[in-house]
Amino acid sequence: MSTPTAVAARGLVKTYAADGVPVRAVDGIDLVVEVGETVSVMGPSGCGKSTLLHLLGGLERPDAGEIVLDGRRVDGLSETAWAVLRRRTLGFVFQAFNLVDELTAVENVELPALLVGAPSRRARRRAFELMERLGVADRAGHLPGRLSGGERQRVAVARALINGPRLILADEPTGNLDSRATAEILRLFADLGRSGQSLLVVSHDARVASTADRLLTMRDGAIVGHTRLDAGSPGALLAEMAGLPDLGGPGPRGGKH
Amino acid sequence: MGSVRLAAHLAWRNIRRRPAQAALILLTLTMATGMFSVGIALYGSADGPWDRVWKATDGFHVSASYYRQGDLARTGTDLTEVRHRFAELAAAPGVRAVGGPWLQLVQGRLDVAHGGYEDLTAEVRGPGRSLVDQPLVTEGSWLAPASEGIVLEQGLAGALHAHPGDRVRIDGQRFTVRGVAMTVSQGRFPLTVPAKVWVTPATANLMRRAGLTAGGIEMQLRLDDPDDAAAFAAAHGDIESSTPTVFLETWRERRAASHSDIDILAGTLLAAGIVVGLLAVATAAVIVAGRMAAQTRQIGTLKAVGVTPWQIVLALLTEHLALAGLATVIGLGAGRLIAPRLAGTSLTVLGDPETPALSGGQVAVVAGVAVVVVVLSTVRPALRGMRHTTLRALATQARPPRRPARLAQLAASAHLPLAGVLGLRSAWRRPSRLLTNAAGLALAVAMIVVAAGLRSSLSRLAAQPTGPGEALSGAAIGTLYQQVRVIVLATAGLLLVLGAVNAFIVASFAARDGARAHAMLRAVGATARQTVVSLVVSQSGACLLAVAAGIPLGLGLWQLIDGGDLPPVAVPGSALALVAVAVPLVFAAAVSLPAWRLAHRPVATALAYE
Amino acid sequence: MKDPILALLAKAPAHGYEVRQRLVDALGPPGQALNPGQVYVALGRLERAGLVLVQQVGQQRHPDKKVYELTAAGSERVAEWLADVSWAKVMPTEFHLKLVTAAVTGLADPVALVDAQRHELLRQLREVQALADPADGPGGLLLEGAALRLAADVRWLELCEQYWLERGGQPDRAGRASRPDRNDER
Repeated sequence: MSTPTAVAARGLVKTYAADGVPVRAVDGIDLVVEVGETVSVMGPSGCGKSTLLHLLGGLERPDAGEIVLDGRRVDGLSETAWAVLRRRTLGFVFQAFNLVDELTAVENVELPALLVGAPSRRARRRAFELMERLGVADRAGHLPGRLSGGERQRVAVARALINGPRLILADEPTGNLDSRATAEILRLFADLGRSGQSLLVVSHDARVASTADRLLTMRDGAIVGHTRLDAGSPGALLAEMAGLPDLGGPGPRGGKH
Repeated sequence: MGSVRLAAHLAWRNIRRRPAQAALILLTLTMATGMFSVGIALYGSADGPWDRVWKATDGFHVSASYYRQGDLARTGTDLTEVRHRFAELAAAPGVRAVGGPWLQLVQGRLDVAHGGYEDLTAEVRGPGRSLVDQPLVTEGSWLAPASEGIVLEQGLAGALHAHPGDRVRIDGQRFTVRGVAMTVSQGRFPLTVPAKVWVTPATANLMRRAGLTAGGIEMQLRLDDPDDAAAFAAAHGDIESSTPTVFLETWRERRAASHSDIDILAGTLLAAGIVVGLLAVATAAVIVAGRMAAQTRQIGTLKAVGVTPWQIVLALLTEHLALAGLATVIGLGAGRLIAPRLAGTSLTVLGDPETPALSGGQVAVVAGVAVVVVVLSTVRPALRGMRHTTLRALATQARPPRRPARLAQLAASAHLPLAGVLGLRSAWRRPSRLLTNAAGLALAVAMIVVAAGLRSSLSRLAAQPTGPGEALSGAAIGTLYQQVRVIVLATAGLLLVLGAVNAFIVASFAARDGARAHAMLRAVGATARQTVVSLVVSQSGACLLAVAAGIPLGLGLWQLIDGGDLPPVAVPGSALALVAVAVPLVFAAAVSLPAWRLAHRPVATALAYE
Repeated sequence: MKDPILALLAKAPAHGYEVRQRLVDALGPPGQALNPGQVYVALGRLERAGLVLVQQVGQQRHPDKKVYELTAAGSERVAEWLADVSWAKVMPTEFHLKLVTAAVTGLADPVALVDAQRHELLRQLREVQALADPADGPGGLLLEGAALRLAADVRWLELCEQYWLERGGQPDRAGRASRPDRNDER
């Protein structure tokens, strides 16, 4: 591969024992996310997409296969090495936000920076910058319990971004959000994608998955479908969708279906 | 289903589902009830034998004694005035029978086998049976006018290993032991000194020639009504120093003062029982709170189905009251089994100890302890769990804090390690729980400090060289001090173990509560070690508070106790230092296991959603 | 399109370009594709249908100078239209029948058809969402409506896929397993 990749995985396998019967949650998956690309993984619940994400993020160990993250082979790393790697290279966004309840929003955001060893003042400043960019700076001093779902997720995204990670891993990022907050987050992800951030988004929601450049469909632990979504000509499609050429007689607007 | 049946059904099901927790609660409850039960049973186990001997000997209601050494006004050897005074007493209204007055020959020296001597007093008895205080012969026979033989007090005989027919040497003269007898007129040797023997007038003359002197007179009175004894003593007790100082004592006073070793032991057990009870409250409260948190979903479902909150609390109470009932039964049983054995080692019990029959009061106290522990530990967490609305219960998370912790911000600005800061903040999330745990531990630490004081005090006592007249009693009492010291140390050790168990349980539940937060931290890049440190730090707050509060508290308690018979001793600094170091270490060890388990739990499962 | 144009004239007469402008504002980004000519064609048809009156103002033959106004019949039509609660077709009958006939005749694999259709819908969804950013006002609402319906259709397609997978025997895992190779295609 000539172009740099954010993460590349080959032959990933993860098996669980469910009531004594071994189940392959991830069954021989190959995956690549290029730098600057947004890839989404779609599939019904239980298809293993969350497990795949956990494997790529080092939250679980694969039973077989290799993972190369930011040019470095990582599937055999120890817990501690993974933790150190995660600080700099990865950012996580979860469905349940997973903010620390007893830290304020800005303290949550600056946490990875502190872990990396940045001086507290610099970490705080960078945290504020990010929160401003994401539109939650006015909530910096509040505890997560006081924030709305959309605000919490934006704080989580800010936290994921603070160390300039190579790759952001998002697991059902809009699962707990209402439609307005969902739209905000999708807009945010689109902005990030345009600014060159690599993203891997796992979701069963078509709205979320369709924002990606490339879409992978998973079923029963394997990837069964793959499409590029960034082809096609804009604009003309819309006119058609809006039913504009239909200038026939009065009556209900006909749809395509 | 009626409320009670529902409660019983839920209670049984919960016990079966969580046997380990039920067992833990039962264990701590049983320790508390057991200690109380043994303490109470012990307290009364000397009274039975004493009463038996008192009845058998026609024991006194009021005892009158005069000793030259205690009389500052008189220096002469003439005891006529004293006898006159005694005659007045004997003729006073309300007196039904008189024993004595008997001359006391003092400053006898009884040779002891391995050298040295023991102070001895000989009471001179006339012929015939006395109407009051006729000692109960346990071996051999009573004095006979023709014989030279003496009768030993039973405690003395036991300490000497002397039996009828043996010879003892007093002030160089040999006397034959004619018999061994028990009395209630004074406490049993060696806790009461000087040792006592009874002699005939003829033997008394021999003794006077050998060197004993007439040092006092004793007389025992029986009244028409034993309950009048206190009033009688108050009415006739001498206040002015111009008349001979006759000391009056009632039978009840004597009985209460006769068993100091049992009293100390029972007191220690009861005090320790209180602390164990409080620790049991703290432990059970944590378990219950953890249970409520884990079961809020079940509770939410029940409530949605129509079970009222009070029915659920009732179920919880039923479960724990059942455990309390079991603990009461076991505790009472332990009391009846252990108390006689402990009492048997006593030096003051007259004959075999009798465990008093199980009184309703005893059962009530022991059961009361268990019930109080259950109520205190169960009601508050249960009510708090109830307050969640059904919907919230079904979608529950741990309770989030209301304000950011300023302390933690200060700590952060002081550049403490990140893991430590996170731990501090987490500790401050639930100040009430922190304080409860700290309070329980503080009491344990205080008791350990008191135990340290007792130990050093007893050591000093035991180390005192035996005086010239204490060759026998000194050794026996030294052994007693050693025994008590062992018990004190064992109690302290037990408290430490219980404290560690409590810390372990609290840490386990804290780890479970915080599992999600810790997993999130690791997802963000914190190492497993950092999460362990943060858990340990968050728990250590309670321990440090406990040590900081417990040591001064223990010192204060020690000052209070110090009044009594024990020489004033400061708790040695080395002991305090040991406590200040050992308690946190034990605590850290107890916390480290759940912390280690937390660190090794896979991150993904902790992040999984239910 | 005719009914909205009529309705826009209900309050007061307007020039053709005004009508077009209002339509464009209402439609948001899709409105950009609205050809001016189409509006005038529509207005012409409405005039011939007797629903609209044309007033010539100023120069002849310049469409912008014409003023359009509702007739009584036109007002009636507008009232009717506003009160009408019929909706766009909600049943995806044609596609459903496509799948059924494909399965019955064996001409195509229904699961493959679903896949292809889903990808198309996702592409459309991506378009719509990409344009939602700058759109404020009623135009954004229109796009939101499109997005929600597309998302709902995708969900239905997932159900179809599940159904036809179960009916159609073993899924073509071998065939699909070859797809991940396409990851290497750039």
